[in-house]
Amino acid sequence: MNDTARILVVDDEAQLTRVLRTGLKSRGYDVRTAPDGATALETFDEWQPDLVITDLAMPVMDGLELCRQLRAVSEVPIIVLSAKGEEKTKIEALDLGADDFVTKPFGIDELFARVRAALRRASSSVPAQATTVLEVGVFRADLESRHVTVEGREIHLTPKEFDLLTYFMRNAGKVLTHRTLLKAIWGGNYVDQNEYLRVFVGQLRKKVEPEGAKPRYILTEPWVGYRFEPGNPSL
Amino acid sequence: MKATGYLGAVLGTALVTIVLAPFHTGINSTTVALIFLLVVLLVALFRGSGPALVASVLGMLSFNFFFLPPLYTFSIAHAQNWVALTVFFTTAVAVGQLSARAKRRAEEAEMAKQELERLYSELRDAFERASEAEALRRSEKLKSALLDAVTHDLRTPLASVKASITTLLDEARGSKDAVVLDAESRLDMMEVIDQESDRLNRFIGDLIELARIEAGELQLRPRWGAVDEIISTALTRAEPLTAQHKIEVEIEKDLPLVRVDNRAVSEVVYSLIDNAAKYSRVNTTIRVTASRGDDEMVYVAVEDMGKGVPAELRGRVFDKFFRAMRDGDVTTCAPSGTGMGLAIAKGIVEAHGGRIWIEPRRDGPGTRICFTLPIGDEEQV
Repeated sequence: MNDTARILVVDDEAQLTRVLRTGLKSRGYDVRTAPDGATALETFDEWQPDLVITDLAMPVMDGLELCRQLRAVSEVPIIVLSAKGEEKTKIEALDLGADDFVTKPFGIDELFARVRAALRRASSSVPAQATTVLEVGVFRADLESRHVTVEGREIHLTPKEFDLLTYFMRNAGKVLTHRTLLKAIWGGNYVDQNEYLRVFVGQLRKKVEPEGAKPRYILTEPWVGYRFEPGNPSL
Repeated sequence: MKATGYLGAVLGTALVTIVLAPFHTGINSTTVALIFLLVVLLVALFRGSGPALVASVLGMLSFNFFFLPPLYTFSIAHAQNWVALTVFFTTAVAVGQLSARAKRRAEEAEMAKQELERLYSELRDAFERASEAEALRRSEKLKSALLDAVTHDLRTPLASVKASITTLLDEARGSKDAVVLDAESRLDMMEVIDQESDRLNRFIGDLIELARIEAGELQLRPRWGAVDEIISTALTRAEPLTAQHKIEVEIEKDLPLVRVDNRAVSEVVYSLIDNAAKYSRVNTTIRVTASRGDDEMVYVAVEDMGKGVPAELRGRVFDKFFRAMRDGDVTTCAPSGTGMGLAIAKGIVEAHGGRIWIEPRRDGPGTRICFTLPIGDEEQV
């Protein structure tokens, strides 16, 4: 982990940014704060942070618009801070490309864990694009021969299952909304066909999960979507 | 029912025959015919057309047998009596049928009317139920919107408290890669917890006060007081909020005393000053004025030199949880209010028989909130 990773915290609640600044700084991160989306964009341009943590409801420019504008220019990981009652907005933010969310009020440990995961993901995802073999955690997928192994064990997937798994692998750790997954695998006309997704995720789980009742790799984020945790190869 | 109809026809005719037969010499046959017609008419009205027809036939036979000479035979002596009998029978049948039909029509009309009334009352009940459901749905919707606003405002300070306390806990537990805080940061966290707990407490206090006002349970303790004292109490309390503003006070000389709950009215003035300080930049002026109107009212106003409230939002600033500037002026870093201050102020002012309103400042941009207090009636003391 890069000790001097730069984190931009965006929230109109001055007290909360004050706490997060202190907490994150004490963990060795370089922190700046912004009270709204517009100021955050200015800071982002000038400072190029490695991670953005943003609230959703803010004056001048809200979290959604910030996500949209950031995604237009950057792949920087975004963690959304949402409150109960903002589920719809949270999902919209994830659809717009936010990576993860933490629900207010949250313990600082939870936030730290998400921050570490997001930064780790950002630093490891760079080389995966040019190669024909994807290797993430205990998963290995050959994009040309379409061979897939999990912990060295070969599994056979249908073409759609293969697409779904490789999409999960490319976005490991990220919260992927139903909409995002449907659009990526089936195309824009299918974004409301949640049952397609349920069926295919169910089939994929049968093939990759060691314990069907307790998924370890393809995790459900209730009401939101799925998160793929590729496992640790050393275990 | 049907059988009794025919029985009625037979009995009616028989009765008339029995009563009139002994006097057949004394009464002329026209009278007898008219009485039989009356029987037919009555049977038709009360028993319908079938029995009326039977009564007509029986009436004709009885008329012929008992009253038309030669008596006690069905033969008829005079051609004139043939005419009488034929006219009687035809009239009887016609009267019977027509009156029975008229009766049936009347009954049908009555039934149709009842049906209509039944439909109408059913419809009215349905409408009532629907509008009740609609009102309920609306009030549920409003309730859930208010609940959202309340929970958001309760959770916001809680989020800061939770983040601070878990940071401190993290350090105190001294786990593997625990946070290391310096003394200043630690103090910082504790200050946040302190301030945010106060904010929560204020919010809850406001909620309770507002609930009391809405339930009509505001306990006012009116006593005679001076307006300038009420204002200066509020100003003293508001000093921490207005340290970076200039305060101007302008109170008309010889203002009459007012009979109000001094503490509550001072709270109103405090709320208005609090608002003014929140929504205007530092180093600008907040003006507090009090004067006597022509209408036995004392006018108190607080004005600021902030951006002002857009005309379309002015009507809503006294709604609970409404914050006109929440999405507006970010040049002030003061924490936003609870959205209840003005709603409470309105409740207090109106409970005193005064009114409160918002208007643009007269000389330049800014907001002016004005309220009235009735000058107490000396005799009420």
